[in-house]
Amino acid sequence: MKTIKYISVRAALVAVACLLGIASGKAQLIPNGYLNVDWQYNVPWNDDFAEKSSGWGMNFEGGYYVLPELAVGAFISYHTNNKYVPRQTLPNGNQSTMTTDQQHSIFQLPFGVVGRYRFLQNSMFEPYAALKLGPNYAKMSSYYYVLETYEKTWGFYFSPEIGVTFFPVEGYRLGIHLSLYYSYATNKGHVLHYSVDGLGNFGFRVGLSF
Amino acid sequence: MKKLFYLLVAALAVTACQKDPDTDDLDNDYLVITNYDKAAAFNSFTTFYLPDSILLIDDKPEPEYWKDGNAQLIIDAFVRNMTARNYTRSENRETADLGIQLSYVQNTYYFLGYNDSPYWWWGYPGYWGPGYWGDWGYWYYPYPVYYSYSTGSLLADLINLEAPQGADQKLPVIWNAFMSGLLSGSAQIDVALTVRAVDQAFVQSPYLTK
Repeated sequence: MKTIKYISVRAALVAVACLLGIASGKAQLIPNGYLNVDWQYNVPWNDDFAEKSSGWGMNFEGGYYVLPELAVGAFISYHTNNKYVPRQTLPNGNQSTMTTDQQHSIFQLPFGVVGRYRFLQNSMFEPYAALKLGPNYAKMSSYYYVLETYEKTWGFYFSPEIGVTFFPVEGYRLGIHLSLYYSYATNKGHVLHYSVDGLGNFGFRVGLSF
Repeated sequence: MKKLFYLLVAALAVTACQKDPDTDDLDNDYLVITNYDKAAAFNSFTTFYLPDSILLIDDKPEPEYWKDGNAQLIIDAFVRNMTARNYTRSENRETADLGIQLSYVQNTYYFLGYNDSPYWWWGYPGYWGPGYWGDWGYWYYPYPVYYSYSTGSLLADLINLEAPQGADQKLPVIWNAFMSGLLSGSAQIDVALTVRAVDQAFVQSPYLTK
């Protein structure tokens, strides 16, 4: 209990310190660190279950520069891609057949660790390359009539990324963040007679960096 | 920091985690599901008996039967399809090889579910009982079935009347069809949709032929 209390007090102190830092317009929310909040546009590329590109996703990421150019941190993001499937007749088990149209949907939620290497420091433009690793939760669904058939899956996720953070005001580390990413997750699932074996994506992110 | 907090809250609020697809984009046409007994020799039967009414499953304890012109159009669709598959309609229930019972869920008051232990009609005093067809004690569905109950569902069961009789014997349903999303709005259009659904049930059941 003491430990929890100690951690809570420390967290509160860090939060207050961050508050004071932002309020006074000091350099960074987290000294030697960064925090990104991004909207993302995702394009699935290796499955035809729900391959329609969409902007229904976000990315949250934070890191700490353990070396002047190298940061480690954590991330969590989520995204939904859907696809309308026109009316068709399909097997529904080995003794059943179904005719309907459908809305397919894949919801992905990867999270884990991130390593980032920045090529410039203390510059208005801070280009970088990063790699994200971690588990990926994915729910694959088919909506038809008033029903939903779905499978929840887990896989391993990795995602290389390049990007740049633009700091328009010198000495003030509130920046605009742009990035391009590719990702692949090993999730496998079966919904009705459809199979998904691996989830590949690419896309871009736009957001704020603190 | 308040600005940062509001930004984060706004970002989270604007984008809910999972974006369900818009089911309004579905075509609102019928869902047709058929199941069959793989062991049944459909080509061994010659005649079938089909009552001249459709059982209405509603919220009343007394059975009601749908017999008007629209019901006849639906019944005629079954007769037409069965005849096209080289079966002959019989007027004699006791000597026919096959029986067809049609039910329409007008209200879900008694309709609790429909699965591989198909006792959903237990609470409904008017439902077709095995005794309607002869001396059988139980129903038998030789395949797993599950349908979500809903108002506006048409159910068709094809019964093997050549099965051994007896109070401890089961009456097998060797084929059934579930059609839903029907009979709302204009009656004329809905009956046309229903007839098309019946036709589709046969189209996706090529094994159902003499």
